Amino acid sequence: MTQPASDKVILDPRFAPPFPQGALNVLRNPQLRKNVAHAIDVIQSKRGKLVAEKTDWQELRSAASALRAHVLENLDAYLEEFEARCTAAGGEVHWAADAAQARQIILGLLRQEGAREVIKIKTMTSAEIQLNPFLEAHGVKTYETDLAEIILQLGEQEPSHIVVPALHVNRAQVREIFARRMGLENLSDDPQALTAAARTYLRQKFLTIPTAISGANFLVAETGSVAIVESEGNGRMCLTLPRAMITLAGIEKVLPRFGDLELMLQLLARSATGERMNPYTSLWTGVTPGDGPQRFHVVLLDNGRSAMLRRPVERQTLRCIRCAACMNACPVYRQTGGHAYGSVYPGPIGAILTPQLMHLQHAQTLPYASSLCGACYEVCPVKINIPQVLLELRAQVTNQERHQAARFLDPMYLGLRIANFLFARAGRFHLAQRFGRSGIRLFTRRDGWIHSLPSIGAKWTQTRDLRGFPRQTFHEWWAARDKEAK
Amino acid sequence: MTSSAEARQQILDSIRAGTESVAQSAAKLADAYAALPRAYNHHGQLNTEALLALMVERLREYGAEVVECSPGQLTATIAAQLSASGKHIFAAPAGLPAAWFIPGFDWKVDYNLTTQEIELAEGVVTSSSAGIADSGTIALHHSPAEGRRVLSLLPDWHLCVLYASQVVESLPEYFSRIPQPPRLATWISGPSATADIEMTRIKGVHGPRFFHVVLVRDERKPETAAERLPQANDL
Repeated sequence: MTQPASDKVILDPRFAPPFPQGALNVLRNPQLRKNVAHAIDVIQSKRGKLVAEKTDWQELRSAASALRAHVLENLDAYLEEFEARCTAAGGEVHWAADAAQARQIILGLLRQEGAREVIKIKTMTSAEIQLNPFLEAHGVKTYETDLAEIILQLGEQEPSHIVVPALHVNRAQVREIFARRMGLENLSDDPQALTAAARTYLRQKFLTIPTAISGANFLVAETGSVAIVESEGNGRMCLTLPRAMITLAGIEKVLPRFGDLELMLQLLARSATGERMNPYTSLWTGVTPGDGPQRFHVVLLDNGRSAMLRRPVERQTLRCIRCAACMNACPVYRQTGGHAYGSVYPGPIGAILTPQLMHLQHAQTLPYASSLCGACYEVCPVKINIPQVLLELRAQVTNQERHQAARFLDPMYLGLRIANFLFARAGRFHLAQRFGRSGIRLFTRRDGWIHSLPSIGAKWTQTRDLRGFPRQTFHEWWAARDKEAK
Repeated sequence: MTSSAEARQQILDSIRAGTESVAQSAAKLADAYAALPRAYNHHGQLNTEALLALMVERLREYGAEVVECSPGQLTATIAAQLSASGKHIFAAPAGLPAAWFIPGFDWKVDYNLTTQEIELAEGVVTSSSAGIADSGTIALHHSPAEGRRVLSLLPDWHLCVLYASQVVESLPEYFSRIPQPPRLATWISGPSATADIEMTRIKGVHGPRFFHVVLVRDERKPETAAERLPQANDL
């Protein structure tokens, strides 16, 4: 694979720029920031209202958290049960250790079907394994059917959110993409008209393309069923009209029993889109004669997941049900949008998931893409303690660097060694404060803010301002106050 | 496929290397599952009137049309809804009660209708398996009276009959009353919608744009919480 041009958004962690650099591109694009902030504000206020009306929200979170942890502890047993039930119901289960295997299995199944075209329900897992470019390169045309995914596919853009992937695109931009790619010069930028254009564009594809690919929200071990939540009905189209269906699912998506859906469905829509329930949730079990696809395959994808089970702190990452509440709540995501994360999984969950999927060989800057404020943990419906995992990953990244001799040339490393020396004794600390204050005053503007610093300090000031230091420290004020009192 | 079998072993081995699971027997697994905390609300609080009022309110919030009637008025109510729709060609599952086939309309009964034939229908009439008031959700288990999944998907107008005795307050109540997990299910909470463009909610992307519910006020005894939902083949 060749390295893509640097001005393009890259969501492959192996080639993406480090987070601070990726963030810079967005921070300099006011339109993009406005689009992201608007979308986030709408979801956040809807979610807030609906969570508040749920009197047992915390009990639901605790139950879901325990259930998902239980699944991960017993993942082998539940996967085997799912495989047995799904097979008994007429489905075929395939296992893929990594992305390359999953792509080959899917391509093989499509060849078996003689498929030259395939319709797709939105699946972030397929984006994770970069399925579309692979299939296109092997002569299979892919049609995304979720409205946001059509916008991205036709506009040749990358997703920036896992639930509303095109939230960075506004209506005028959608109009431009649709007008150009669908040949509709007189299209208006009214969302109603744009949605209608997408409906017409896809209707014929739904009715004629006999093969579909989906992801999965949940796999039910007890029954071998698969569940998908959606809003538009494109999912229902893909699940019922084609003759053959391939579902790609991460191994962590399994739930023990059918009844466990009562818990997850209460949490998912409220957390994801601020709805009590999404318009359509579909459940199917293997193959049902006379109803829906008559050939059904599930591809279970590992791709770095099983290795995450070995570390108890990081393991909780796999409880995730992909609701995106963490990115909607994140002050960093709100400013940078999703592309800065250089992965199809952005936001706080992406910051912990992506580096682990990459075995910490790539995306090492992502664990630092957080202020550790904890908003993500507070909203997470399965109580993933994201700040805790971030810290654990930071420790691992630091440990990696500790073995590199080049660290002695790194100003950050040297700076932290000096800080370590200064902070170790109160006397040294107070002295450093006094010198620091007079030094920093040179850079403080009249408005009390520092807008730019030289050398290593620029790392902070290139993306944000720093409040100038006060004339007095708290300790000094306290001491002076004591003296006055006497 | 051999490579899939190898991958299977590799993945399961890798999972077992990281978890305690391999030491557990099936009985221990069931015990651990049974011991999981489930302190959330399992039972509804509302009386029948409040429950049905909530169901109607939530359906209307989603933009579904709701009419209520007594069991005796059902046929007349369906007839009135069909007439008011201005549509003429209706698809129907083969198991739909005979009385609901209102004369004067062109009925396409699903004895293996092709996709193209269903696509030509302007509307569809089905029964349903349950209503969940808290989220305004209608559950289809795709019994003979509810029809195949595609039948309630392609026509732009869907009339769904729901009995008051099938309405429960919450998802946990609904799940606790299902005797056997259905092989297929579609949970519908209002018409097809999207908010993908600037978070503006637009009704009707691919599924039916118009969702009508006839709520039939049949006898709903206070003790219905203990009763099971009607099963797929009861209807």
